[in-house]
Amino acid sequence: MILLIDMDAFFASVEQAHHPQLRGVPVIVCGDPARRGVVTAASYEARPFGVRAGMPLGEARRLCPQAHYVEGNPDKYVALSVKLLDLYLTVSPDVEPFSVDEAFLQIARRGSRPPDERAALDEAVVVARRLQGEIERRFSLGASIGIGPSKLVAKMASGVQKPRGLTALDIPAFQRHFWPLDVQELWGVGPKLAARMRSLGITTVGELAHASADLLKGHFGIIGPQLREAASGHDETPLIPCHRTVEPKSMGHEVTLPEDSGSIPFLEGTLLRLSDQVARRLRSDRMAGRVVAVKLRNHRFETVLRQRALSEHTRESRRVFEVARTLWRENWDGGPLRLLGVTVSDLKSLDGGDQTELFAADHRSRKLTEALDRVRDRLGEASIVPAGSIAHLGGPASHVPFGTVPAASAPEDRPEKLRSKPTRRRP
Amino acid sequence: MFQSLSDPVDVLSACVSGQVQPLRFRWKGRVIRVRKVTGRWQRREGQARLQYFSIEDAARSSYELCYDPRGPKWILSRAWVEDSR
Repeated sequence: MILLIDMDAFFASVEQAHHPQLRGVPVIVCGDPARRGVVTAASYEARPFGVRAGMPLGEARRLCPQAHYVEGNPDKYVALSVKLLDLYLTVSPDVEPFSVDEAFLQIARRGSRPPDERAALDEAVVVARRLQGEIERRFSLGASIGIGPSKLVAKMASGVQKPRGLTALDIPAFQRHFWPLDVQELWGVGPKLAARMRSLGITTVGELAHASADLLKGHFGIIGPQLREAASGHDETPLIPCHRTVEPKSMGHEVTLPEDSGSIPFLEGTLLRLSDQVARRLRSDRMAGRVVAVKLRNHRFETVLRQRALSEHTRESRRVFEVARTLWRENWDGGPLRLLGVTVSDLKSLDGGDQTELFAADHRSRKLTEALDRVRDRLGEASIVPAGSIAHLGGPASHVPFGTVPAASAPEDRPEKLRSKPTRRRP
Repeated sequence: MFQSLSDPVDVLSACVSGQVQPLRFRWKGRVIRVRKVTGRWQRREGQARLQYFSIEDAARSSYELCYDPRGPKWILSRAWVEDSR
């Protein structure tokens, strides 16, 4: 039997657990509250006002001005997430972290003969209640737990009752509960897919379960029949325990800009910073990627995603930036942008492999990258950054190491400078 | 609301079960006794591993303290201040 443990409003709840002033009042976790951005998490006290994760901060302030806006702290949440995993591992060795606030856990069957499904569910419920109690006692946090014969059923069951809910469903119970619901309630069906299904007359999970496999395959390809199986509660996806190494499929960073911007130096500087962060993570994890993608979101919240495959894998900041900049220039209409993102995918591990081919032929470039990484390993990520990422006029340099960096005197110089090797600007 | 700070503070601490535990600290001329450590986590900065503590005092005000082993030094990084609403 599989459990999905989902921490209730995790980031906001952690802040409430750590700070008594925040308990029982609306709390909204975000980036810097003094700047704009989006809601990262909203406490259950903030949700009746309509505040949701992902909502622009300005809208949240309009809906719930009395909330406490708290700057999120990823280090704190990851540390707690690790402690929670340690707790889960005392119950079962088969734990799969699914996100920072969710984990799957497989309960082994007792005895040589597997019990029937009902008995297995009951046994899992006892374990789940014990876990909820321990999470409350040790961390003062709430968790909702879904239980089912597969990851799909457990995941969907976890959302049935919140907060501090506990829902156990076998396949018949899954079908009774979910079949009357909107097709978008099925895990894996987003708004666009749901709209396409509705155009075929499939509006509920039950209708999807009874739809023709040929019809679904014709319209949605291989995923069509898989979704039909999922709608019936059938899912064979294996649980991948955390003691087995799973390599990431992509690495990316994105940022909501402090204000909508159409400034070329500023946007290029931001892309350079994001590219450098992604490439640095690739190098730290001894990986390289072959596909570079950019994400552009304008002030109307229209999002463009574009990607390009390279001829060979890379983990060089400059190479990632060059491709990201090209994609941005090709797909930007010149209007103000709200958000920028850079992602590298099609990753491969460099453990045991030849690294030299992964760098440009330029030996000096490789040496420079290695030297910069050594400085960052020793002194921290902010100790040295590409000058182009912080030297834009009036830009939002969140941290300027070693004192003040003077503003660039001629913004139109920046594209040219960005093409050269990154160097610190001289005062 | 929280006020972000970077104030060096003197901290009296103990080592309990191999873990650093702040007991009281002096800030703005006041001695603040730690009633409860509500959370602890770490952050790497290069080779240094900074330790952070969420703490609550007897008046149920909350603070965040950071122990930086490079000094070694203690920094008060956040404090709850009552706002006017």
